[in-house]
Amino acid sequence: MFENKAILHVDLDAFFASVEVLRDSRLKGKPLIIGGTKGRGVVASCSYEARHFGVRSAMPMKMALNLCPDAIVVRGDMEEYSKQSKIIKEIIASEAPLFEQASIDEFNLDLTGMDKYFGCWKWSQEMRERLIKESGLPMSMGLSINKLVSKIGASFAKPNGKYKVDDGSEKAFLAPMPVGKIPGIGKQTDRKLRLMGVRKVKTLSEIPVKLLQREFGAKPGISLHRKSHGIDNSPVVPFHHQKSMSKERTFQMDTIDVQNLKDRLTKMVTQLAFELRKKNKLTSTIAVKLRYTDFDTHTQQRRIPFTSNDRELIRHSHELFDKLFQRRIMVRLLGVTFSNMVNGNYQIDLFNDTEEEINLLNAMDEIRKRFGAGAVSRASSVSFK
Amino acid sequence: MQFSVQSVDFLKKLNMASGAIGSVNVLPILEDFLFDLKGNELTITASDLETSIVTKVDVQGEEDGKVAVPAKILLETMKALPGQPIKFLVDKENFGIQLQSSYGKYKLAGEDGDDFPEIPAEANAEDRVTVATQGLSNAIANTIFATSNDELRPAMTGVYFQIDFNKIIFVATDAHKLVKFTLNETKGEVSSTFIVPKKALNLLKNILPSGDEVTISFNSVNVFFSFGDTLLVSRQIDQRYPDYNAVIPVNNPNLLTANRQDLQNSMKRIAIYANKTTNQVVLNVAENSLTVSAQDLDFSNEATEQLPCTYNGDPLQIAFNAKFLVEMLGILESDEIKLELSTPSRAGILLPSEQQDGQDILMLVMPVMLGS
Repeated sequence: MFENKAILHVDLDAFFASVEVLRDSRLKGKPLIIGGTKGRGVVASCSYEARHFGVRSAMPMKMALNLCPDAIVVRGDMEEYSKQSKIIKEIIASEAPLFEQASIDEFNLDLTGMDKYFGCWKWSQEMRERLIKESGLPMSMGLSINKLVSKIGASFAKPNGKYKVDDGSEKAFLAPMPVGKIPGIGKQTDRKLRLMGVRKVKTLSEIPVKLLQREFGAKPGISLHRKSHGIDNSPVVPFHHQKSMSKERTFQMDTIDVQNLKDRLTKMVTQLAFELRKKNKLTSTIAVKLRYTDFDTHTQQRRIPFTSNDRELIRHSHELFDKLFQRRIMVRLLGVTFSNMVNGNYQIDLFNDTEEEINLLNAMDEIRKRFGAGAVSRASSVSFK
Repeated sequence: MQFSVQSVDFLKKLNMASGAIGSVNVLPILEDFLFDLKGNELTITASDLETSIVTKVDVQGEEDGKVAVPAKILLETMKALPGQPIKFLVDKENFGIQLQSSYGKYKLAGEDGDDFPEIPAEANAEDRVTVATQGLSNAIANTIFATSNDELRPAMTGVYFQIDFNKIIFVATDAHKLVKFTLNETKGEVSSTFIVPKKALNLLKNILPSGDEVTISFNSVNVFFSFGDTLLVSRQIDQRYPDYNAVIPVNNPNLLTANRQDLQNSMKRIAIYANKTTNQVVLNVAENSLTVSAQDLDFSNEATEQLPCTYNGDPLQIAFNAKFLVEMLGILESDEIKLELSTPSRAGILLPSEQQDGQDILMLVMPVMLGS
């Protein structure tokens, strides 16, 4: 059954950077970096011109600017990026029979049964032409029998290219690649494989599963083995249940000011709680994450009755924070996560809620919906962006 | 200690007392019944330290004494025996117990009755009121469902008794729904308030006989319910009860009257299509028509019903937890009910259109915030 699948992977090239170029054509052909500008900022994305200098995503901004001092740094505008991503998604939705959005700039399309293979490839190229024409953004794509190989195909075709892996030639296609090209093999695994003398996918595919399992553990071992053989049976799932929502923030400067930390927490919780209510959801698990200046990281979570009420969530988050913050040393990161969510609205409490409070919550949400999520906030958290 | 007893009467009383025995006991002896024989009267006591039941049974006593008997094994034996006289012998030295039925002998190990914790004596109660058994039964049945299970708010895990000379107000709430049940025509000369744990009231409900009267006596720590030859003692919940009167809205300009059964059935059907965790239903009321709807986005389930009603007020949209409404409508007994509403974020008040003699009931349900 899996034999004749046809999966197309579409990947926008240097997405954030491309959107910035689209907005301001003067940036075209220049090294461009998107990311936090101050102290601890990291590179979120960069143009191909910047990549020539060795700049990569997730690299600290300071290091990036050392490599490429002339780069233009842009703060980034998530709203605009989501808008562009949505445009692409809508075009795909209007044409593709089945697709999933794998991330803000990646899509998997299941073209199985659309036509014989040649037809799919032709269809895919036309699709790409249309996407490029209508969005004005460069993108690469890969076509093969599964998501894994298609993704590798697309990254092989970058920038702004296309690649088709013929049915049956997956192994041959992967064989000469460095193992780091396989999604899921990060720095750590790559380093370990290098130490084992494995550089090419071909070598990896020839290692017995047992050996991989001994080195990497039972599940990762099998996974590595399968990937090296170009096997990936995961289906294209059009709709993903949102399982959790979270927010975290690394501070420009480490702080030990408890009130300041709590105010920041309040800010993040109210932002997330608004998201919850906007989506008509309730959460029943709240977790707070705290990272000290020495990268010692702790999290605490707690089950709570289903709620989307600011006051309840702030109270729980502060209590969790008090439990977490035990070492009296500087804190560099604070985060909060809501999970175990259901669809529904907040059940008002007879004794803890007053009508004024509920009306205030409603009124603030109305303002946020009309003027943006940052339009109103609690006085205690107003000083933080 | 030695006596003979009819197994049927004996089992009835044992069953009654066994309710007080907890599932997890701090003291092993609390898994026992305490038997205290004086003449021809056997007193059976069971307790979990919070709640205790003391009851009496007529026996043919031969020798007075006191012993703690393992409850589970004794109950099982009695249940398995057809009605007949049972002989009960206790060894004074080692508290070994021997039962004799017409089929044979059964031995089990007892414990020293003097080790059984002391049960608070009713004689210590300073104040008392008397109520009709049926009235008290109604009061418990009408309120207990609304109590909370939230151990962080212990006051709400019990029913609030507000004794006021010749009436008692019973209040229960879990902060989402509230019931205020007033029993008139009680006999008393005191005014006092206390909170009785849910467990004690559930037990009481099950063992209250039909007819007759119950005496409720109390001090600052315990409450005693006595009827016939049985006494139920419960420790009060030592907490401040929330000011429930302050949260019952007055001035509810919008009044809906509907058939109770029809509304409940409609709610039950609509609730099938609501999200199973939140049970959220939306009520849309306009002139003489009530539209009830629900949806479950996860499964694309959706349902809408319209039913006739009498409505005086502004058109209103309000959301509730259907489970609460179904439960409350099931407890009320009148043919028609009144639902008083004000705004979508204020409590709705549910009333029977006709109150029963000697009692008043008011139910309150908090809405769910309306989504966008």
